[in-house]
Amino acid sequence: MAETKTITLELFRYHPETDSEPRFQSYEVPYDEDWVVLDAINWIKDYVDGSVTHRWSCRMGVCGSCGMMVNGEPKLTCAAFLKNYYPFPIKVEPLVNFPVERDLVVDMEGFMDKLQDVKPYIIRDDVNDTSEGEYLQTPAELAQYKQYSMCINCMLCYSACPVVGHEDDFLGPAALALGHRYNKDSRDQGQSERLEVMLRSEAMWGCTFVGECTVVCPKHVDPAGAIQQAKAMGAQEYFKRFVMPKGAGATKGAGA
Amino acid sequence: MSGGQYHRPHRRAWFMERPAYIRFMIREVTSFFMAAYLIVLIVTLAKVGVGEAAAAEWLQALSTTGWKVAHAVALAATVWHTITFFAAVPQAMPIYIGEDRLPDPIAKIVMGYGPWLTATAIILWGVLR
Amino acid sequence: MSRGKSGRPTRPSGEAFWWALFSAGGVMAAIFVPAFILATGFLLPSGDPAAAAEGAQRLAALAGWWPVKLVLLGVITLSLFHCAHRIRHTLMDVGMRRLAGFLKLPCYGGALAGTVWLALVLWGI
Repeated sequence: MAETKTITLELFRYHPETDSEPRFQSYEVPYDEDWVVLDAINWIKDYVDGSVTHRWSCRMGVCGSCGMMVNGEPKLTCAAFLKNYYPFPIKVEPLVNFPVERDLVVDMEGFMDKLQDVKPYIIRDDVNDTSEGEYLQTPAELAQYKQYSMCINCMLCYSACPVVGHEDDFLGPAALALGHRYNKDSRDQGQSERLEVMLRSEAMWGCTFVGECTVVCPKHVDPAGAIQQAKAMGAQEYFKRFVMPKGAGATKGAGA
Repeated sequence: MSGGQYHRPHRRAWFMERPAYIRFMIREVTSFFMAAYLIVLIVTLAKVGVGEAAAAEWLQALSTTGWKVAHAVALAATVWHTITFFAAVPQAMPIYIGEDRLPDPIAKIVMGYGPWLTATAIILWGVLR
Repeated sequence: MSRGKSGRPTRPSGEAFWWALFSAGGVMAAIFVPAFILATGFLLPSGDPAAAAEGAQRLAALAGWWPVKLVLLGVITLSLFHCAHRIRHTLMDVGMRRLAGFLKLPCYGGALAGTVWLALVLWGI
């Protein structure tokens, strides 16, 4: 029988009911050129150790649930090919800058909170009746935000961003990019509501444009660029409010 | 004792962890050198305010090797600031012509390198003419 | 600072103002400061007294012209605030985040002091 090639995966293990500290566990996995890290983890769970816990769904870079640290880099494990690491061992950890729930699974609650803060949906002052048809938009208007709408909430950018790790008040790359996506949408009228949130001290201003969010983004969203544009928009809003306190209509809906 | 969630420890030297973070820090630290130069520049202008004799004396002092090295460091830092700042221009201020975004190299020239070279040429002409 | 149930602040802050100065200063610094350094660091200084005197004369003639004064005031002031903001955030990033509020005083205060000093200097030329 021909000798099968193998590759070593070192998985971060943490079971809260038994472990007080995380540990690493090594597994020998058959090496297949077509396999991605996610395939290898699934193989381990199916054939070696069913207690390994991880999140995944689509296997094709759309669902955004299989993000992990692969040799220290935030990656979608469904897009990280074993052949790019072979023959060296691959160290897989849960995404950094998040609390670890169990093994490779992180707690997304804080992220979901931040996402809600930027109101990532279209806000209208006047809602047309459906009989009046869609809110029309030109291709040029679509181009203004399309790139920022491609986010799959995989949170790789949160792991790449040092500010997320230091500053709890920082809303983070994906949430800010998504807020900006709606601020740039010609159908939307909720800009000042969102900017109300983004103008808070470190919510957006904590960003120092390290730019790694954009580098690791599997969907080419460019959160770093979106945040700088959002800052410029926020600064305009700030001066507008300074000139017109309680601005006539400008700060509408900005309670609190 | 079993725990709940595991929180990774804070990493104090986080900026040493990735080459990109080190590059980021270098960019940020250019501001320290730039600030130091700006103070020296205000001193130079203050000497001009005192009188041409004082300014001449100061300019003579600035010709020593130590000051030249300091200015060379400040120049390198500031040019690095310029390059990194212009690199961000297309991301921070994208220009759309209809549906198409102005290509990054053109945006950098129009909003960055073009004005930079023009201003530099005018300043050097003003000083040297 | 009032905080909501998420623990995050609930009111807009003045960060937008400092960022606007930082941003404008970044543009000014990028475009003008390298040439300033070439001029006052390399072209005008000289070990030769006669050449230094001539350099001083040129500089005085330039800095005495009010459009140049305006440019110097605008560029240097905004660049100072650019540096102040970046220095503050660099210090925060390397572990002084708890001092974020306090750091405003030396950083932006320093830039403001530099601005006042510069204005007085230019007034006197």
